[in-house]
Amino acid sequence: MSRTPVDDVCVAIRSDADVVAARSLGRSLAEQHGFGTTDVTMIATAISELARNILKYAHEGEIVVETVERGSMSGVSVVARDDGPGIPDVGLALQDGFSTANSLGLGLPGTRRLMDEFEIVSAPGSGTVITAIKWRR
Amino acid sequence: MPVPILKQGDCLIASIQSALTDADLLELRDELSERVGRYRSKGVIIDVTVLDVLDSFASRTLRTMAEMIRLRGAETVIVGIQPEVAFSMVQLGLSLDGVTTVLDLEEGLAHLDRSRRARVAHAGG
Amino acid sequence: MAATRQRVHADDLADSIGLGSEELAMRKRFLEFDDDDVQRLEGMYGLTHEHVDAVIEAFYEHLLSFPETTSFFRDPRLLEHVKGRQKNYFIRLTQGDYDHDYVTDRLRLGSIHERIGLPVRSFLGMYAFYLRQIAALLVQEHPGDPEHAFQKFHSLTKLLFFDIGLGVDMYIHQRERTIAVQQDAIRELSTPVLTIRDRLLVLPIIGILDTSRAQQLTEELLRSIRESRAQVVILDVTGVPAVDSAVANHLLQTVEASRLMGAQVIVTGLSASVAQALVTLGVDLTKLNAVGDLQGGIEVANGIMRYQVVAIDDTIPEVVDAGPDPEAG
Ligand SMILES: Nc1ncnc2c1ncn2[C@@H]1O[C@H](COP(=O)(O)OP(=O)(O)OP(=O)(O)O)[C@@H](O)[C@H]1O
Ligand SMILES: [Mg+2]
Repeated sequence: MSRTPVDDVCVAIRSDADVVAARSLGRSLAEQHGFGTTDVTMIATAISELARNILKYAHEGEIVVETVERGSMSGVSVVARDDGPGIPDVGLALQDGFSTANSLGLGLPGTRRLMDEFEIVSAPGSGTVITAIKWRR
Repeated sequence: MPVPILKQGDCLIASIQSALTDADLLELRDELSERVGRYRSKGVIIDVTVLDVLDSFASRTLRTMAEMIRLRGAETVIVGIQPEVAFSMVQLGLSLDGVTTVLDLEEGLAHLDRSRRARVAHAGG
Repeated sequence: MAATRQRVHADDLADSIGLGSEELAMRKRFLEFDDDDVQRLEGMYGLTHEHVDAVIEAFYEHLLSFPETTSFFRDPRLLEHVKGRQKNYFIRLTQGDYDHDYVTDRLRLGSIHERIGLPVRSFLGMYAFYLRQIAALLVQEHPGDPEHAFQKFHSLTKLLFFDIGLGVDMYIHQRERTIAVQQDAIRELSTPVLTIRDRLLVLPIIGILDTSRAQQLTEELLRSIRESRAQVVILDVTGVPAVDSAVANHLLQTVEASRLMGAQVIVTGLSASVAQALVTLGVDLTKLNAVGDLQGGIEVANGIMRYQVVAIDDTIPEVVDAGPDPEAG
């Protein structure tokens, strides 16, 4: 039986083992989709940061990685979704060094640098959805 | 997934074998700092060659690990960060300031050897 | 046969810069250039024919009185050639059929001027000169009938503005093409990571360092570090035209990533003024081990590497303290 190419993976994030699972599944999807090793690593790192934030701030949620096409462009998108407390000031959260957890505050701004497109939809009390896309070079 | 820790002379070598969860990393941190005390080691090599991602948590933990080990009297050398991993780390904005990083195990051993000689030279001179 | 081929080429020229027949018709409508204008211009054929030599000679005399333009026409053969073309150009203004072939001819003229590097202002000055000359001639030809002279002059103005549009388009088109070719060349310049000697790499960066190129260079450098087990890398930025804060940040990232892989980076070729500008901008250069030029960089690299060679040599351990600190910088 031939293996059908995977074009989306969905991982529930509840424990730190899920973080590892999400990034390794995301990594193999990106590899199958023809991304080079540097890009694959950047995508995996981004997934790791987003999954980690879910765990830390919302305790649970999910990561969906899938292939996307737009015009002649082709890439993968990473969607991190949770029903946690939400982010009151998205602009602030995207600044290097901002952290409510006394951490480095690099996760979100860093993920934005690692990916080509980045969007946060969040409000206090209504959870957070972060979408990040990387296009194949 | 415990990380095997090898004792060689006054050095400890922790060679990571597969992707680690946060809990594994914290366990490694505690284990190393405990053994440095137990064996009175002078140098610790952490081989991260197989890690395909070093995110903010992992880098932060490596830094605190090096700091704890320093306070226990030993020097830490991280070896084997892969090109793509190094690239992603700087894109993310991470640096391992204050931690010695070298190419591979061989270089790591050479580095600790130089440190040992420097200590001997100091003690003798 | 040759004529056919030329024709094909001619078609390409207008089309290739997006000047199809619709676009040309639109431009004429915009200038309100109509059949009356065509007729009036054709009626001026005798006038231009009679005065062409004098006008062109006067024009080049004028042009060459400016040292700036003299340099473009040093070669007397080029000058004669261009004069010949200008005469054709001038007469052609009154020969009707301002269609496709006319346009191609105008585009070629613009293309030649761009290629020899004639500034646009000189190119425009040429049209102003023709207008002045012809205005004088028309006044002479229609003494006591300024309205008639003026109508003819207007028709000519429209046509010359039509020509100017074509010429300027050609200038822009060629510049864009040149830039595109250069950018390709820069991109294709396979980045040579040079192995100066065992474990010492030099990466000379040439050209504009934008984000995507900086990433590509860094990736390549990091791979080379692993392959050649480099201890020291020299990044020579002498060939980077503008080192601003963005470029400095790219360099810092490259330095940091190399360090993570265990290689020390020395940056050479940052001029004093650039360094000062960066510091003034608030770019933190403390992590940048900068040395004036490549030669100096190699010497510093030798110092770092000699230390390491000496230090692991069993016989002379006491040299250790005398050597430069390998962690410095
Ligand atoms: N999924 C989320 N739900 C609620 N708040 C979040 C979420 N993700 C991020 N945040 C908020 O945004 C801030 C910035 O996040 P970011 O990942 O950049 O930094 P950090 O997690 O604090 O530190 P680091 O990722 O460097 O360890 C967090 O401190 C937190 O307040
Ligand atoms: Mg985070």
